[in-house]
Amino acid sequence: MIPSGFELHLGDAGYPVHLTTGVRPPVRLLGMGDPSALVPGLAIIGSRRATPYGLTCARIFARCAAESGVTVISGAAIGCDLAAQTEALDAGGHSVAVLGCGADVDYPQRSASTLARLRAGGGAVVSELDWGATPLPRQFPSRNRIIAGLSAVVLVVEAALPSGTFSTADSALDAGRDVLAVPGSILYAGSAGTNRLIRQGATPITCVDDLREALVCAGLLAEGAVPAAGGNALGTSSGDPLLEALRAHPMTPDQVGEAVGLDAAVTMATLARLEAAGLVARHADGRYGPCLPG
Amino acid sequence: MTQAVVPSSTLVGVEAIAVEVQVDVSAGLPAFTIVGLGDTAVLEARDRVRAAMRSSGFDFPNARVTVNLAPSPVRKHGTGFDLPIAVGVLAATGQVPRSVLGAVSVGELALDGSVRSVPGMLAHAIVAPLRGLPLLTSGDAVRAAQTVRECEIRGLGSLGNLRAGLPGVAATSSTAPPPALTEPDFSEVRGQSSAKRALEIAAAGGLGLLLVGPPGSAKTMLARRLPSILPPLDDAEMLSTAVVHSVAGLDLDGVLAGVRPFRAPHHTATTAGLVGGGTPPRPGEASLAHNGVLFLDELPEFSPAALQALRQPLEDGYLTLVRAEGRVRYPASFSLVAAMNPCPCGYLGDSERTCTCPPTLVERYVGRVGGPLMDRIDMTLRVGRTDTSRLLTGSTEEGSARVRERVVAARERTRTRGLPRDLSGAALLRACGLDTETRRTVEEAARLHRLSGRGVTRLLRVALAIADLAGEERLTRPHILEASGYRGHS
Repeated sequence: MIPSGFELHLGDAGYPVHLTTGVRPPVRLLGMGDPSALVPGLAIIGSRRATPYGLTCARIFARCAAESGVTVISGAAIGCDLAAQTEALDAGGHSVAVLGCGADVDYPQRSASTLARLRAGGGAVVSELDWGATPLPRQFPSRNRIIAGLSAVVLVVEAALPSGTFSTADSALDAGRDVLAVPGSILYAGSAGTNRLIRQGATPITCVDDLREALVCAGLLAEGAVPAAGGNALGTSSGDPLLEALRAHPMTPDQVGEAVGLDAAVTMATLARLEAAGLVARHADGRYGPCLPG
Repeated sequence: MTQAVVPSSTLVGVEAIAVEVQVDVSAGLPAFTIVGLGDTAVLEARDRVRAAMRSSGFDFPNARVTVNLAPSPVRKHGTGFDLPIAVGVLAATGQVPRSVLGAVSVGELALDGSVRSVPGMLAHAIVAPLRGLPLLTSGDAVRAAQTVRECEIRGLGSLGNLRAGLPGVAATSSTAPPPALTEPDFSEVRGQSSAKRALEIAAAGGLGLLLVGPPGSAKTMLARRLPSILPPLDDAEMLSTAVVHSVAGLDLDGVLAGVRPFRAPHHTATTAGLVGGGTPPRPGEASLAHNGVLFLDELPEFSPAALQALRQPLEDGYLTLVRAEGRVRYPASFSLVAAMNPCPCGYLGDSERTCTCPPTLVERYVGRVGGPLMDRIDMTLRVGRTDTSRLLTGSTEEGSARVRERVVAARERTRTRGLPRDLSGAALLRACGLDTETRRTVEEAARLHRLSGRGVTRLLRVALAIADLAGEERLTRPHILEASGYRGHS
């Protein structure tokens, strides 16, 4: 059964023009949802093994894009991708998911509800593969070139080395798109990829205004959308030594307790208080790291 | 008179029930039959009894010998009926004085006539005084059986000694101090301050703990040291623990020295091995850990059925096995300490090695333990490896004795607090008398960690243990906060 979707062929009238300037534009693009959502936008991509820091950055910048009327493009993968796309929808914006399987397949399973919202009109879900195609590892790098092709700017929020986000960034550079990256701790292996991108010339994004400026440069936002003052830093000092220590570098309770000189009981109680306030969150590996700014 | 009735007992679960061994010797074709639902071991008593009597210089009657084990409907197991059957035949044929019938006899016979002890001696020793009778058993079972002070024990080395009637009351074994057991001590663990704190709380509140960490993060080492900070066994606990160990035929030295048992079944353990079962039913590891610590290493590797079977003892403190031959109840009130790797490869979050597991696989691995069991574990904690440099420095760590003092004091305060152990949910919340701020903290924690009603109860129990350790009457916000830090780490 062929699902009710749309089918765009290279050279057709409806085929997104900007995609033809990308690397190896797909001959045929199958999709579900709203084909008019396929306008140049901001790709937000990042690690599947995201830390709370990476997820928070993905959300902050996706919301900024959505509120500025810029479409967020990503791959609907667990982690940064999904966080960015869900947040864009929640903020009332549009989003496009490019899948490494058929556009009607819910993969990964955890993204199913977000994919359903996209297909229902929050944007579009597209793929160059046949309807019902199963996800195979080799299909994802070529999927990444479509993400790069559909976007005007690519933002990498968190990536390790090696990382699949590099193939997207490479395609973006080959197609002449801007690549942005959120810097991370130089001590954390999970941030090595984004830091490498910055060293290679990607624009570092450290606050919402940095992103707006980049969107203006790419022609996605009108000039004047960025307040002249600019540089609204996200990090403000809280005065809590334990919180500041964790913002500098995520640590286990034992490590941070030792670093700020608190015993195990007080450390645990303080961490729980910060966690309840949404200021820190647990990483998958048991360390505590920064979450919401504030 | 050619009949004799010998009091004896048999095990059902960890309890001994009274059995009468009725022996009838009458004229007819020579035969030796045992009736009354005995298993193979009981029926084999015929050959052991005949040989043991001959070796001890007695005559086996050249007549028709019938033995009935009453009450007949109860299935009887094991070799403990050897001695009472021999005593009955000897008394019926007048080869020993009939005074020997005035004791509960339990023991196995060797072919040379010597008497051997059987599993569950302690259970038999508990029941004998209730019938107002002394216990006649092997000499080597005396020391263990003397744990039951009410019981008068007559030790019998060999069947031949019965010619003069019942042997005298066994002397109370010289109260030589039990061999000093060197238990592993907390001071041997370097660093790991939050894990030690969690164990202290678990010990104070009698709570279950799950340690999650990569290989080499001292999970087993930490768990092995929990008994050393638990208060020593009191007399009642010692007896109930010793009975289970006795029924399982295990060494009692550790338990009788007041050391709480530490059981660490391998993850290939079957459900029966873990919670008891088999024919005849035997106590499982959960019961052997009664009043002690049950340590389940590599928790997700255990069979789901075995883990689910642990839910009843975790809630109720005992296990009920329902089998064709009846219900058996085993005590199983233990502190659960479980350990697991954070992911299948084991290195998620390790400071030196990189984890190679895809995130979905990690989730499936953690999910294997099952929500209902996880919900019954009071505290979870991530542990990491201590830096090598730290391991080699001679820094002094607090010893178990100091921690135990705090735990004992906290348990004393728990007792004076007097909250019923089974209080839960709203009732417990009311009994804690929380102020508005503390109550709001509980609600926040419940939302953050998506706690069920049972989860909230566990959170409060952990917080109560923390308050008791701190010596504070009222439950306040810091206690709740710290307690919520021990949730949701898996």
